[in-house]
Amino acid sequence: MSKNKHQYAFFLGCIAPNRYPGIEAAAIQTSKNVGIDLLPLKGASCCPAPGAFGSIDLNVWYAMAARNVVLAEQMGMDIALVCNGCYKSIWEVNHKLKHNDELRDGVNEVLKEIDMEFKGTADVWHLAELYYDPEIVGVKKLADSVKRPLTGAKVAVHYGCHLMKPSKERHFGDTENPMWMEELVAALGAEPVQYRNKMQCCGAGGGVRGYDITHALDITNEKLINMEEVGVDAVTEVCPFCQLQFDRGQIEIKEKFGVEHGIPVLHYNELLGLAQGMSPDDLALDLHAIDVEPFLKKIL
Amino acid sequence: MAVKKDYKDQKLSEKLRDRKYYIPDSNPEFIKDVEKIGQTAAHMCYQCGTCTGSCPSAPRSSYRIRLFMRKSILGLEEEILTDPDLWLCTTCYSCTDRCPRDLAPTDAIMAMRNLAFKRDIIPRNFLQTVQLIYKSGHGVPNNDANRAARKRLGLDEEPETTHKYPEYLPGIRKILDHYRLKENADRILAQGE
Amino acid sequence: MAEVKKYEEPRIGVFVCHCGTNIAGSIDVKAVMEYARTLPNVIVADDYQYMCSTPGQNKIAEAINEQKLTGVVVAACSPRLHEPTFRNATKAGGLNPFRFEMANIREQNSWVHMHQPEEATSKAKDAVRIAVAKASLLEDLVPKSVPVEKAAMVVGGGVGGMQAALDLANAGIKTYLVEKSPTIGGRMSQLDKTFPTLDCSQCILTPKMVDVYRNEGIELLTYTEVEAVEGYIGNFDVTLRKKARGVITPAEAEVRGIVGGGCTGCGDCSEVCPVIKPNPFELGMAPRKAIYIYHPQVSPLIYTVDFDACVKCGLCVEACGDKKAVDLEAKDEFMTVKVGTVVLALGYDIFPIEKKFEWGYKNYDNVITSLEFERLICASGPTGGHLVRPSDGETPKRIAFVLCAGSRDSTGVGKPYCSRFCCMYSLKHAHQIIEKIPGAIPYIFYMDIRSFGKMYEEFYYRIQNEGAKFIRGRVANILEDPVTKNLHVNAEDTLLGRPIDMEVDLVVLAAAIQPSAETEKTRRLFGVSCSQDGWLLEAHPKLNPCGTTTAGVYLAGVCQGPKDIPDTVAQAEGAASAASIPIHRGEVELEPYFAQCMEDKCAGCGMCINQCPYSALSLVEKDGRTVMQVTEAKCKGCGTCGGFCPGGAIWMQHFATPQIIAQIDAFLLGGEQ
Repeated sequence: MSKNKHQYAFFLGCIAPNRYPGIEAAAIQTSKNVGIDLLPLKGASCCPAPGAFGSIDLNVWYAMAARNVVLAEQMGMDIALVCNGCYKSIWEVNHKLKHNDELRDGVNEVLKEIDMEFKGTADVWHLAELYYDPEIVGVKKLADSVKRPLTGAKVAVHYGCHLMKPSKERHFGDTENPMWMEELVAALGAEPVQYRNKMQCCGAGGGVRGYDITHALDITNEKLINMEEVGVDAVTEVCPFCQLQFDRGQIEIKEKFGVEHGIPVLHYNELLGLAQGMSPDDLALDLHAIDVEPFLKKIL
Repeated sequence: MAVKKDYKDQKLSEKLRDRKYYIPDSNPEFIKDVEKIGQTAAHMCYQCGTCTGSCPSAPRSSYRIRLFMRKSILGLEEEILTDPDLWLCTTCYSCTDRCPRDLAPTDAIMAMRNLAFKRDIIPRNFLQTVQLIYKSGHGVPNNDANRAARKRLGLDEEPETTHKYPEYLPGIRKILDHYRLKENADRILAQGE
Repeated sequence: MAEVKKYEEPRIGVFVCHCGTNIAGSIDVKAVMEYARTLPNVIVADDYQYMCSTPGQNKIAEAINEQKLTGVVVAACSPRLHEPTFRNATKAGGLNPFRFEMANIREQNSWVHMHQPEEATSKAKDAVRIAVAKASLLEDLVPKSVPVEKAAMVVGGGVGGMQAALDLANAGIKTYLVEKSPTIGGRMSQLDKTFPTLDCSQCILTPKMVDVYRNEGIELLTYTEVEAVEGYIGNFDVTLRKKARGVITPAEAEVRGIVGGGCTGCGDCSEVCPVIKPNPFELGMAPRKAIYIYHPQVSPLIYTVDFDACVKCGLCVEACGDKKAVDLEAKDEFMTVKVGTVVLALGYDIFPIEKKFEWGYKNYDNVITSLEFERLICASGPTGGHLVRPSDGETPKRIAFVLCAGSRDSTGVGKPYCSRFCCMYSLKHAHQIIEKIPGAIPYIFYMDIRSFGKMYEEFYYRIQNEGAKFIRGRVANILEDPVTKNLHVNAEDTLLGRPIDMEVDLVVLAAAIQPSAETEKTRRLFGVSCSQDGWLLEAHPKLNPCGTTTAGVYLAGVCQGPKDIPDTVAQAEGAASAASIPIHRGEVELEPYFAQCMEDKCAGCGMCINQCPYSALSLVEKDGRTVMQVTEAKCKGCGTCGGFCPGGAIWMQHFATPQIIAQIDAFLLGGEQ
């Protein structure tokens, strides 16, 4: 892993830089505020999308993800990222290649064609776990970085799937009723609220969003109903793809099902940015499909 | 082998189709392929239903992951690969987390999808993602509205990825070409049009 | 003492067994036999379908007589199975039985190399050659007889331990019954009713508890743990820790000269005690004081002070008055008893089912375990037998039973085995709520209903007929409604192929069981092995289910593996019977694998003394010299001293250095012959 625990190659993925650039801006700024430098990982590509590529041919998925890891290896750095889907590809392929010689040899044979070699010298982290880790940042330091507490805001947490599951391979412990992200939210002064079936999937993964949009949206809608039941001002997540599904999904749900929710959707880094004093403009919150204004009114 | 009833009336032929399970109609190698690709001992499934009970897709569809496990053990390859439900798994891994036999039904489903692709059975959106990545390195590429927003935020219009450094694209294309993925995607998509 | 013998010219007979097709299926038995004929010292070689059969054994005896053999080799199964058989055959032929050597070509060969016949045959030849090399150097040995102490010990005072103790005592054997808790009775005393007869558990158990207490042949040692064990079959010295109870019995009072004193179980002390603690017998669902009994039917009826909780206010001492039963200065006491045999009946614990996060035990109020259900449905339990929801005290109407909760689980979190009695008690639970709560419906989530015992399947029929609903599907997860505290049980009805979200008032988890907390420590003290899952290992799963590989130590009940009450009692009677045999015979033969000092070589340095794990060695004066001496009865033949002795002065009988060297040579060099 990196010699420096506070410097990481920042793997952007697709949706954060290309649909919600506020997440990218927030991640860089908010991390700097708690002592983490995110450096550009030049030439990175799509992770690639684990649902699509994994479904087509796992071997391509391994090789493509490995290429992204090798870019960080060449920098001599660990990777930090902000998306569960990217985590699934980058973390898991890195992990598999480190522990399965046969797989690694196969991937390296392909990488050789582009003068690359997977060595297994880098680790992969989700920024959220670095924030939670007291040896890197920790909840206390996070709370100390808050300039504008999100007091009075009731926030539902959506953990998503590919960060913590399958739990046996990962290191996050309880995947049935985790509370660590609630701690991250509480550190910002907001009130994390519990709702029915909070660990349920957003519905978008596995290529389902593209394959059968109403099926995916029906899952999303169920989650939104459960959040509405307890009354929330926003939902936060650590996955731009989940964010897309909840945010644009609400527009699609309205179109296709005639049901309206109006729950603002914010990536944790956007939430953290707001708490650290970044303005809605600094975060391009106007790009969100669901108006964030009601939430901002609550906290500003 | 299922009894062939060449009834003149096609509808009746389908309605009265022999539905028994016959060993010759099955492929015993199928489960082995699933296990090899999915890296999970799928044949150890004891059909408890924990997977389906955990599945967010099951309550709103006819998708039953347990049945896919069962059918793969019985070698019902044809039935599995042509079943549109195969593509309803959101890969949430809840079944894998809870499976008491320590199997990874999610990965078994991914393996079955890989096997379907080998027979050109694949939803179009999956292939479109391949084309996009081949072109730009991104499954969800940049656009003008986003470039403007990036500029406002003080970010470069193009992110520090293949977008800003297209010199990395040939390497990506080489990997995809190694598996002839783009070629196959183009071909299958063209066939469907 | 032993001397290195001058060996007579060895004449070895080799017999290769087919074991039907078990061996002959993958090993060319004829080729092995022909090969044996080419080996040095081999006078005769033969093969036979089943060497362990009478004709097979006769072959050995006849060959010894006709060919004047000095050693016998049988290439067959594991010596664990038939070494005694062939030793007897050797003896029947007039040879010392320790002139026999076995080559294992089944378990370690044909069974594991089923698909490599050539290699297996070659390996069998190696094994035979090695065995012949050793057989050529074997010597006459005489087993040692030692007297057996006419007393037995039973560790664990549950129903199995009590039954074993009663049987032993009733067979005229003085029996120590050691129980760690303040009362005997074990898990069975926590149960309400028992399947399939629906007997009240306490009602059928209490008479047995009284029998144990009254039996003059049983010395009941409650609140006592095994501290140390020394010795061997016939002569175990067991050190016991009598934990400080803080209350003395009338007998102990008499010894102390307190006339008419000692605990009468009146409970006055408990009345006044100001300290309140959860009662573990009620699984923490009811309080007890710092001076307590578990429940009214305890045996012995003697109070106990929880010194971890006691504030030593002295109110209990005052309340006890002239009986002077309470002694707040009590300390642990130790005693050592000598017994010939031991029965372990260590019982089980409930697996900590909260580790399976998906079912929310300890997170959701209304998810309970089956054992908690037993206490809640029991008339003498904390609610007087009224089953209530822990969240609000309401009577539940819709109750889900989750079977295989943590059993049949290969994830590494739960237990891979079937806990064996959960199906049946869950059926019983279903019956109980139908009987007690009008309109209540039990929903039983199951994978298989395992109703294998006598009248068990009939019981299943009865409960189904009474209206229990069976859903064939394992519960995926449980979610709690934060307002009503009702539970949503998610599963698939696999027979319908339809997901279920069932809202219920109460969930009962039929949690897996695991070896009791003390099992690991106790088994180590007695040198008993355990299987991978932690249950104690029987000597043979089918043919010696009560014995262990440690002579003189036997197993009863769940500590050997999950079993219900009838099976536990049956095994306890078997274990008691087995444990009584050496005692009634009065002596046991020990395998003569002792270390022997070759006194002419011994320098008397004494360095071996501390090496011996069994304290079997000492230094003695002999003919003006200091030499080592072995106490044969203590020696286990482990070879530590023999391998260590700098002068090579220790001879390990039956595993002597020249014998082992000959085996190694035969393996490394002989193959080229």
